[in-house]
Parts: sequence; C-alpha cells; structure tokens
Amino acid sequence: MIESKNYYLDIFQVDTASLDKLVEEGLRSGGSYCDLYFENTSYGSLLLRDGAVTSGGKHIDFGVGIRVLSGEKTGYAYSESTGWADMVSCARAAAQIATRPADVSPYGTRNPSRGEPNPAADRYPIGQPWWGVPMDGFLPFLQQLENSVKSRDARVEKVIVNLAFQVSDILMYNSFRELKWDTRPMGSVSVSVVFRQGDQLENKSTSRSFRLGAEMLTDALVEDMARDVVSGIDDRFAARRPKGGQMPVVMGAGASGILLHEAMGHAFEADFNRKGTSIFADKMGRRVCAEGINILDDGTLQGNRGSLNFDDEGIPGQKTYMVEDGILTSYLHDRISAAHYGVRPTGNGRRESFRYAPLPRMRATYMESGNAKKEDLIASVSKGIYVDEFSNGQVQIGEGDFTFYVKAGYLIEDGRLTMPVKDINIIGNGPQALADMCGVADDLVIDPGAWTCGKEQSVPVSCGIPTVLIGKLTVGGE
Amino acid sequence: MEKALITPEEIALARHCLAYAQEQGAQMVRITLSKSLMNLVGVLSGEVDKTAHALDRSLQLRLFVDGKFGSFSSNRLEKEGLEAFLRSAIGTVRMLEADEFRRLPEPERLAKDATGGQELGLYDSTVENLTSEQRRELALASMAWPRKAQLENGFTLIAEEGEYSDSVFDSLTIDSQGLYARHTETSFEIGYESTIQDARGNHISSYWWDAQPYFKDLAWKDCAQTACRRAAALMGPQTVPGGKYTLILDSECASKVVTPLLNALGGYSLQQKNSFLNDSLGKKLFPDNLTILDLPRTKGQTGCRLFDSEGVATREMPIIEKGVVKTYFLSTYIAPKMQMEPTIEDATRIRVLPTGGCRTQEEVLQQVQDGILVTGFNGGNSNPATGNFSYGIEGFLVKGGKKVHPVREMLVTGNFLDLWNNLAIAADDARNCMSKLIPTLAFRNVDFSA
Repeated sequence: MIESKNYYLDIFQVDTASLDKLVEEGLRSGGSYCDLYFENTSYGSLLLRDGAVTSGGKHIDFGVGIRVLSGEKTGYAYSESTGWADMVSCARAAAQIATRPADVSPYGTRNPSRGEPNPAADRYPIGQPWWGVPMDGFLPFLQQLENSVKSRDARVEKVIVNLAFQVSDILMYNSFRELKWDTRPMGSVSVSVVFRQGDQLENKSTSRSFRLGAEMLTDALVEDMARDVVSGIDDRFAARRPKGGQMPVVMGAGASGILLHEAMGHAFEADFNRKGTSIFADKMGRRVCAEGINILDDGTLQGNRGSLNFDDEGIPGQKTYMVEDGILTSYLHDRISAAHYGVRPTGNGRRESFRYAPLPRMRATYMESGNAKKEDLIASVSKGIYVDEFSNGQVQIGEGDFTFYVKAGYLIEDGRLTMPVKDINIIGNGPQALADMCGVADDLVIDPGAWTCGKEQSVPVSCGIPTVLIGKLTVGGE
Repeated sequence: MEKALITPEEIALARHCLAYAQEQGAQMVRITLSKSLMNLVGVLSGEVDKTAHALDRSLQLRLFVDGKFGSFSSNRLEKEGLEAFLRSAIGTVRMLEADEFRRLPEPERLAKDATGGQELGLYDSTVENLTSEQRRELALASMAWPRKAQLENGFTLIAEEGEYSDSVFDSLTIDSQGLYARHTETSFEIGYESTIQDARGNHISSYWWDAQPYFKDLAWKDCAQTACRRAAALMGPQTVPGGKYTLILDSECASKVVTPLLNALGGYSLQQKNSFLNDSLGKKLFPDNLTILDLPRTKGQTGCRLFDSEGVATREMPIIEKGVVKTYFLSTYIAPKMQMEPTIEDATRIRVLPTGGCRTQEEVLQQVQDGILVTGFNGGNSNPATGNFSYGIEGFLVKGGKKVHPVREMLVTGNFLDLWNNLAIAADDARNCMSKLIPTLAFRNVDFSA
C-alpha cells in the first residue's frame, strides 16, 4: 500500500533538502552518481510445532545504504541510524571509491515521464495490514492448517506450520534528484510434515508466498496447502532411486521453472556478462533455443513474490523478454550494466536490504506457453523421467553447468509414467539444455512457493514454466 | 581490545532492557547485544572495483512470560523506543500458547570464563590501525602475480575478481539469572575467483580463499594465482562412464558429507523425527575407523566459542567415537521434550580424526590408485529423514594414483550411512582456516552417474 511521500520522509526523519546535502557529501570526492536507500522493515513470525503455537516474535531492521559510483566502480556504506552525523559519515566512506573528478554521469538521466509512485498502479495493495492484526489473530489459521493436514492422512507423525510476514517501507533518492517510495508486503506460509509408515519415515513440505497483506490467510489457502502437502505421499514411500545416466526429462509445469532460473536466468544477469564470465556473454542477438520459445523476467505480476513497483535503484518494475522466438534479446540490467551496454535499465537492480549494494537479479522468471500437450510430451518419451517437485538448484556461471534437486517424480517408460522416484539431482549445461528443449506445452503455471535466490544476497523471486521436454539431461541414480 | 565495539553505554542499555522487561512482567529474559564492523575492498581485473564499510548492531531479546516464549530483535537502540518495543513484545508473548519446556539453562551449565571476550585469543588489534589506503594496497598487491607464464599454457584469463575484507565481531549475552558472556573476534579474509577461456572458447571458473583471526597469518599472496591455477586444472573435462568408483573427497568441500551427520544429531531434527539418526545415541552405526571430535575451546582457532547462544559453556567431546554415536546436540528447550539431559546447541569446531595411514591428498591418491577425486560440488541436496543424497560434482578421474583429466556433468548419489560405512581413509590435511577440520576423505563403492 503506497502511502504519501511525507509518510516516508517522516519515518526516516529526512527532507528533500537534507537528501540533497547527503548526495553532495557522497559526490564530494568526484563520484559520478550517488543514491540513497532508506529501509524500515518489520518482520513477524509464528511457529506451530507439536500441536501448539508456542513461538513467535517481531524483528525490526532500520537503516540507510549509500552508494557512490565512479565509472563502474562502487563505494558502499550503510548506517543503522538516520541521524545526520551518522549518515554523513556513511556518505563520506562511500565517497572514497572516487579518486578523480567526475565525468558526465553514464547512468542515464532524469526522466520525469516515469513519474512518482502511483497508488492506483500499486502491484501489491494491502487489503488487511499485517500489523493491524494482533498476533493471536493468526493462531486459528495455523491451527486450522495443522488440523486439516492431520485429518487427511493417519500416517502424519509431526507437523510444523510457519507463518512469516514482513512490511518494508522504502525511500530512494539519487543524484538525478529522483525520489521514489514504496511499501512492500510479503506473507509466507510453510508447512512441513513427517509421515510414518511402519518403520519408514518420509518428509514433505510446501509453501506459499505472496506480496499481499493478511487477507491472503484464507480457508482456500488452508485447503490448497493441506491437499498439496499430503498428495503423493504414497508414491513418496514407494519411490526408488532410478538408474542414473543421460536421458530425456519432462519437466512438469510450475516449479520446474527452477530450470529457467538456474540454467538461463543467472547467465542472463548482466553483471556476469559485463565481466565476461557468463557463458552467454557473446550470444546477444543469436539463437539460443528453438523458434517459438519466449523466456521473460517479470516484475509486474500482481501480488507475486518477485514483483516490484520500483526496483531498488528506483527504476520502475517492468516485464523483460530475455528470449524472443528463440533469440537472446536482452540481459537483466541494473544501472551499472545498462550504462555499460548503452541500454535502459530493466528494473532488475535488487538488494537484500539497505546493507547491500544492488545487483542485477531476477524477479519472476518464466517461459510462455507453447502449443504442445503435456500428455503428448510424456507419450513421446520411450525411456526417461518426469519431474515436478524440487528443493534447490545451483549454477556455475562460467561453465553454464546447472543442477537442481528433485524431491519427487516418475520414470517414463514407453510413453507412460511408471515407478515413482525421489531424491535425485539432475545436471545439465544451460546453453545445451536450451538447445535441447524440444517441446513446450500449453499449460504455463507460475509456482506460488517461497523461492529465494541466493546470489551473494538473498532476494525473493518466483519462477514458472509450462511442461517442457528436454532431449537429454544427466540424472543421478544408482 | 583498545577500542571495544560494544561501549559501556550500550552494555548499560542492555542491562536496562533486561530489568525493564522483568518490570513489565517477563519472569526470565536473555539478551544478546551484537555489533560488527567490516571493511571491504573488491578488485576486478587489476583495479579497485568496490569498497564497502559496514557497522552493524542488534539487540536480541528472548522473553519468557507466564510460561510462554517469544523472540524479538531490533537494531534501533534508542532507550525510549526499546522500552516501547519491549512492552509490545511482552504483550505479543502473552498472546501465544503456553510451553512448559521453555526455560533458561541451569546456572551451573553457563559459561563463567568468558567475561572479557578475548579469552580465546581471537582478537587482533591490528584491525584498529588499518587505513583505507592500506586495504586498497593489499587488495591490489594480492592480484600481482606472474600471469604471463599461465597465459602460455593454452588459456586466456577472462576475469579475475577478488575481495579483501577485515571485520570485528563483538557480542555480549546476559540473562536474568546472572549470565554475562562475551565473545570478541577479528577476521581477515581474502578470496578470489578466476574465469578463464580455453582454446575452444569454453569458460572455466574456480576460486581460492583464506580467512584468519590474525592479519599476519593471512595467506593473501598466493590467493589469486591459486584460483587461476585451479581453474586451469579443470580445462578439457571429459565424460566418464557412470558406475561405482572410489570417491576421494577434497578437504575443501568435504563438509558436504559431514554437515548432514551433525544436522541429523541436532535436537530439532531428532525431536521432529526428521533425522536418519533417530535413536542412534550409544549405537555403533559407523565403522571403527570413524571418530569425530568437537574442539570448541582451542585458543586462536577459527570458529571456536566458549559458549553457545544460550550462554551454555562448550566443552571438548567426542561426537562419534570409533563408530559409536556419543552425543546429540540438545538445547535447554529440546532436551526435556525428548526426556533427555541437555548438552550443547550445536557442534562448534569439529575434527575428523585421521585414519588409513595417509597424511596428504597425494598419499591418498597413491593408496587408492583409481577413483574420482571430487574437488567441488554443483548443487544437490539430501533427505534428512532417510539420509539419501545426490550431488553434482566437479573433479578428476584418478588412475594409477594420478589425476588423469577433469570430469564433467557427473553426479554422486547414495545414502550417508552407507557412504560412511565405506570410509577407507581420512588424511590429515584439513586447513585450519575452516571451522570444520575435515581432511581429504576416501570412500569405496560410491555410485556416480554421467
């Protein structure tokens, strides 16, 4: 819920004149650009364990980060106080990156047409403010979710339900005298369940995370999460490790978007390309996958975990096509990389908090639907694997080798899903996997889980994909 | 320490918060005040690319009110604001459900030998006198190495990125039954990542790093060169057929197979039945040649602590001894839930004892003759309930005791109990800059996929 400008100025006890003076301090050694990032975040949490909500709390994080750029070099400092002396000391520390007088700033120019924050265009309006609900008001939701899980399967041994929410008030100012402000909510619910079948234990978990207020805690959410976390548990107990090796992989719609995040998204982040380390550093304008495939990174989805009204450099949130019709068309830019490449920033300058300088980061990364049918993709595989539940992934930017960990899936034999499989890692090479993508279904799903990207800093992201068939990946196994 | 990060005024504020919380109705309180100061210089391809200066502070409050418990923190340390925060926090705790197991540790378990903060000898006052210019010079000097010789070996150096940083960490934990425990340490760190391009245009990256509590011990001169050398060694990877191999695990990444054991012995995992080491205490689940110790009180060594986050005194003890599980990690909260005695929250500085008669990795390779040397992991995970794991790896095919060539797109898959029961060798080459002293390890009959 975007408030008025003065609301934010008051929180941080600053005015536009003092912001100007602070920027001047930042540029006093000759820096070519300076920006200020004020943040006041309140985190709340509640934990249900062993049948009761016996742990909870609140955490406050407050401060200002000051960045000075000199060419492509960054000086950064932050203060956990917005007292004038503390902020000036901080600005002077950041200013030390500059050792010579500034040239003309390469970081774009003020563009008034972009306008000030507009509450009517807010991508995450808050229906029920999180801090407007007393903590005990959340207890019934957690208890209802636990009860719903337990009622669905007699094998439930332990249930943990975690509710975490935060509200961040952000104020940004820079040496172009652009003032932006935002209030970013985030609510996340996770449920982890341990099941017992005879002597065998298995665990399963699921999460939902949105930029919404407390109105997201509905009966429908309870139903959705409880159903999700107990579904497939019979197969989980029955699952085995497959025989490993190279094989075709059908990736189910939704969470398989981790493929795009790890295999392509990171390699398209422009800092890796600016430094020449990415395997995609010399592929701009070239075909990287089959015609008809579009891959994008989107900060405009309403209420999505990765959405932003403005990124953390004050650039408006936007939708960025990285691959159009199979051709690499754009990297993901912050101000530094955009200046390096002579293009406009794409609104991907993000940071974990005021303690960090922004970097090019993903938001919600997904692939648009194709024309194939999921059933036909599975039917086309004589021996392979279908995967649709994941825990984590990783990529080596230089080599392009990526992996992701599969919690659950199935063997595909003669075009049919057969034996359930679990706990296997899959490895591939980004450019090769893109080139080997030989079928895209018409069933795009944006996954609602609490995905967090950990490139130097942790930021909330989202991912999605339609069902896709990749000709060959290496699957771990026995 | 000549210039303490935590000031007497801040200690007085923490004490005031403790008393104020009790006034407002908290029967028991624990407060941890933490501050840290960090300076960093980043270099990219021979030039200073970034600088950072960070001063952090935090007041963490654990409140026990009417049999209920809450955890709170703030980095806004103004007295009036904190009082309002405490009043609200106590109100919040009262809204939660009661928990009969929440309590402070018994006083006799608390650390009593950590009142000054520097008892472990982890503070180097050099940090107080380092200037910005000295940090820049060191960061740039660490990049100066004879690249020409490397460039003649068939690759181009695409990017070389590194960071030098130094930091001071100071924390004080007090509680309503008289605990006063302080821990102060410095850390000096250097890290480099090199990306090279081979003749076919393939990019290969690798890294190297060092971290020491004392500036004089920091091995900064060789760091950039080592990163490049490690990347160059990975040129020309070849696919190797999947199958069972002896896994030789480089000390640098060996924690990947040790940390899950420690996690499985953690109270939260055990109490929630989410551990493949349930009901393992006192049982011989591992081979005779596996002994893992916790050595938290070794002076001057990275990662050592005299007390855990509850203020409970650490002690040196076996975790697994000759294959027998000797301890769980049970906090004051979890232990009574499991009807057991509390121990310590977590392992601090563990050491895997040598076995198999090898001191170095070279000796391990000679002894096993054939296998796959894993020098890094690329993703993967494990199932805490079953102990099954699957990781992407990078490394080398080993034949006749020598590294033959790098391998690519390989995965190692198995179960931790099976893996450790195939332990053949633990060398004696752990780097002391790591908080876990795990040497090169060798395991027989491990499944690799390719």
